[in-house]
Amino acid sequence: MEAENKKLGYTDIHEDVVRSIVVTGPKYYAALATSGGLALLCFFFPWFYQLYYGIGAAGMNHPGVWGTYLASFIFWIGLSHSGTLLSCVLHLTNSSWRKAMYRSAEAMTLFSLVVAATYVFVHVGRPWFAHWTFPYPNQWELWPNFRSPLLFDVMAIATYLTGSTIFIYMGSIPDFAAVRDRTVGWRNTMYSLLSLGWRGTDTEWHRLHWAYTFLAVLIIPLAVSVHSIVSWDFAMSIVPGLHQTIFAPYFVVGAIYSGTAGIVTVMFVLRKYMGFEQYITKLHFDNLGKLLLVLSLLWTYINAIELFTGWYSGTSDEYEQLSFKLFGFYAPLYWEMIVFCAAAPLLMISKRFRTSFVPMLVLSIAINIGMYTERFLIVATSLPRQYLPDAWGFYSPSLVEVSIMVGSFAVFTTLFLVFVKIFPSVSMYEVKETMDTPKLKAAISQAGSPA
Amino acid sequence: MTNCVIGLFHDPQSALVAAGELKSAGFETPELMSPVPIEGVEEVLGKKKSIIKNFTFFGGLIGGISGFTLAAVTAIIYPHPVGGRPIITIPPYLIITYELTILFGILFTVLGFIISSRLPAIRDRIYVPEAAVDKFAVAVTCENSEHRSRADAILNGAGAEQVRDMREED
Amino acid sequence: MSLFSRFMDGWRKYRKPGYYDEFDYHWTMTVDLDSCTGCEACMTACQAENNIPLVGEEELAKGREIQWIRIERYWEGEYPNAKLNFLPMMCQHCDAAPCETVCPVSATYHNQDGLNTQIYNRCVGTRSCAVYCPYEVRYFNYYNHHWDSPLDQQLNPDVSIRGKGVMEKCTFCIQRIREAKDLAKDDGRRRVRDGEVQPACVQSCPTKALIFGDRKDTESQVYQSMNNPRAYKVLDELNTDSSVVYLKKVDA
Repeated sequence: MEAENKKLGYTDIHEDVVRSIVVTGPKYYAALATSGGLALLCFFFPWFYQLYYGIGAAGMNHPGVWGTYLASFIFWIGLSHSGTLLSCVLHLTNSSWRKAMYRSAEAMTLFSLVVAATYVFVHVGRPWFAHWTFPYPNQWELWPNFRSPLLFDVMAIATYLTGSTIFIYMGSIPDFAAVRDRTVGWRNTMYSLLSLGWRGTDTEWHRLHWAYTFLAVLIIPLAVSVHSIVSWDFAMSIVPGLHQTIFAPYFVVGAIYSGTAGIVTVMFVLRKYMGFEQYITKLHFDNLGKLLLVLSLLWTYINAIELFTGWYSGTSDEYEQLSFKLFGFYAPLYWEMIVFCAAAPLLMISKRFRTSFVPMLVLSIAINIGMYTERFLIVATSLPRQYLPDAWGFYSPSLVEVSIMVGSFAVFTTLFLVFVKIFPSVSMYEVKETMDTPKLKAAISQAGSPA
Repeated sequence: MTNCVIGLFHDPQSALVAAGELKSAGFETPELMSPVPIEGVEEVLGKKKSIIKNFTFFGGLIGGISGFTLAAVTAIIYPHPVGGRPIITIPPYLIITYELTILFGILFTVLGFIISSRLPAIRDRIYVPEAAVDKFAVAVTCENSEHRSRADAILNGAGAEQVRDMREED
Repeated sequence: MSLFSRFMDGWRKYRKPGYYDEFDYHWTMTVDLDSCTGCEACMTACQAENNIPLVGEEELAKGREIQWIRIERYWEGEYPNAKLNFLPMMCQHCDAAPCETVCPVSATYHNQDGLNTQIYNRCVGTRSCAVYCPYEVRYFNYYNHHWDSPLDQQLNPDVSIRGKGVMEKCTFCIQRIREAKDLAKDDGRRRVRDGEVQPACVQSCPTKALIFGDRKDTESQVYQSMNNPRAYKVLDELNTDSSVVYLKKVDA
C-alpha cells in the first residue's frame, strides 16, 4: 500500500526500466531456454519433417484442404491487431492510461505478425517458391495475380509488418537514447545506432510528435483493412458458410477482441516478472476489461446475426452448414467457443472482477482459446460440407499440426523474451510524462505569459 | 567553435521561464533538452513549422498512383484471363492501391522525420546525459564572455541547479 | 492513330470481361445421365491417361484420393424401392471460374480454347483454388508419389508427373487436344473436326454417355446434345458458366 502511494520520480522509472534490460537473472535464461527449446522441438522440427515429406504430414484431405495452419495464421494476425491499433487510437484520443503498456502491446503485434508470416511458409505446398507471390521483375515477365484475395493478403501483411516495425521503433527512439547512457560495450554501440543520436531537444520532440501522430493516423485504417482482407480469403469464395459480407467486420472485431485479451495476458506476465507493478496498475486492467466487455458484446451480436441469417436464408446449403456447426461432430467446440467468448466475458461487468489480476488473466486466456476455436471451426466445418453432398468429408488435425500450433506460441514467447531485453518494455518518457501533468499545466499558464 | 552555456533545471516550468527570458534578452533561440516533451514550448519560443505533413501527403499520393499502376501495368504485360473478369478489374486493384498508399505514406513520413529532425546525428552535438533521466537543460550559444556572464545570470536567476560550459564542435 | 484512340482501344480491350473477343475452340462435354451406368470405366481411363497417382489404402482412408473424374452416387428412397443416381463429376471448365481468380501466382487461367488450365510449374500450393471450387474437383498432391513396378511402365509420356505440393485437376486431356490440333495443322491448317479428339473418359465410356466436342461447331455432336431439352448444368445458380452440360435422367 505504502509503495503504491509513494510518488514516483523520474529516476525511479528510469532505473526500473533500465534495470529490466541490463540486469538478467537465471530465471530469465531458464525461460528463454525453455521457450527456445520448445520452439525448436514443436515448431521447427515438425515443419522440416513436413517440408521433406509433403503437406501429407498434416491432417488435410480432399474436401478439407485448409486446416489448422490457416486457422492459426488468422489467429496470429488477429492477435496482432490489438496492440498497434489500440496504441494508435489511444494516442489520437490523448488517453493517459495507454502510456505504460503500449510498448509491449506493439511488440506483441509485431511478433504475432512475424509468427503469422512464418505460418504462410508452413501452410503453402511449395514454400521454396513462396517468393513468387511478391511482385518482382523476372525473366518470364510473370507477375503475381493482383486480382487474388490471397495477394491482397500478402500486400496488406507486408504493409502492416513494415508499419508496425516503424511505429514501435519511432516510439522507442527517446528510450533507446536514455538506455544508451547506462550501457557499455556492444549494448552501447547497439543503442547508439538505434537511437540515431537523439538528444531530446524541443525540435526533435516536436518532429517526433508529428511523425508519430501521422503514423498513428495512417496505421488505424491499415489495421482495419488488414484483417478485412484476411477475412476475404474466405468471404470471396462461394463456399456456403463463408460467402458472407459480415465476414470483414466479424473478423476485425474478433481480431481486436482476441488481441486485447492477448494484451491482458502479456501485461500480467510483464507486471509479475519484470517488476513493473507500479506502472501497470489496476487502472489498466480495469480499462482493458471494459474494452474487452464491449468487444465481447459486439462479437456476440455478430455471431447471433450470422446464425440468424443462416437460418433465415432457408437454402439447404447454408442451413446444412449451420446445423453441422451447431450439432455436428464439432458441436462441443462450438458451444465451448460460445461459453468462453460470449458468456464468460460477461463477468467483466463487475468492477471487482475487472480489477483483480489473476481472474482477468484466466479470462483472457479463455477468450483466446475460444477465439482460436472460432477460427478452427470456420475452416473445419465449412470446407467439408459444401454444395455437393457426395463430396462431403471430414477434417481433423494431425499431430504435426497440433505440435506446430503449440510451437508457434513458443516462437512468439521466445521473440518476446528477446524483446524485453533489448527494447525498454515500458515507455519511459511517456510514463514520466504522466507524472507531472497537473503541475505542468498550471505552470504553462505562468510561463506562457509574455516573457 | 561556438561557446555554449547550459543550465540544468529540476522541473520543466523553470526551464521554460529561463528559456523565455533568454530569448527576450536577445540571445539566439535556446535549445531545450528534456527527458519528456515539454508542453508550452511553442508559446515561449515561437511556433515551429513542420514539413512532415507534406512528406506524408506526397508519400500517400505516390503510393496510390504506383499501387494502381503496379497492378494494372503488370496485368497488361502478361494478360492472364481469369474467372471471366477483365484484365484491369477496378475493385481488386483499388485494394492494392489502398495498401500501397498507406505503405508509401508511412515510409515517406519516416523520411520526413529523418530529414526535418536532422537525425541521425553524424557529427557530435551538445549532449547532456542528465537530460535523458530527470533534468531539464537549456542550452544557449554565446558569442563572447560578456554574453556568457549575462546568460549565466539569467539562468541562475531562473533557478538553475547547475550551469555548465560546453564547447560545441563544429 | 492518335494516342487517345490507342489508349481507348487498349482500355476497351483490357476492360472486356473474359478478355477474349472470341474463343478459338470452345470445348464442351455433355454427360447423359440416362446412359451412365456408374461403371467407372472413365475413372480408370483417366487414371491411365493422365498419370494420376494411386495414393494407397492409408491415404485413401484419410480422404486424400485423387480422382480427376469421379462418379457421385446419390441414393433415393429406401429398400426395396431404393434408386441410385450417378453423377460423373469432373472439372467443369467454367467460363466464370471461381478458382481462377484466387490463385496468387496465376497458376491457373482460362485459355483461348475455353479450357481452365493448371500450370503445375507455377503452383505454389496455397490450395485456395480447391476451396473456391464449388464442385470440389481440384485435387492436391499431399506426397510425392511413386509407381510400383510394373505400373511405372504404363505412364503416359505426354503428361508430366506432378510433384508434392501441386494442385491438379481434369484438363479435358489437353495433351490429346494439342495433338489433334497439331495433326490438323500438319494436314493443311484446317480446324479439328468433330470426333477427332476424345478425352480418355469419353473414349472409354461403354454406353457413350460422354460426348465431347467444340460447341462453336454447330454441326458437332456435342452441340446437338447440348440443345437437348433434358440439358442442365450442375450448380447453375452459382453462375459459373460451366462447359459441362448434363442431360437429366428420365425416370421411366
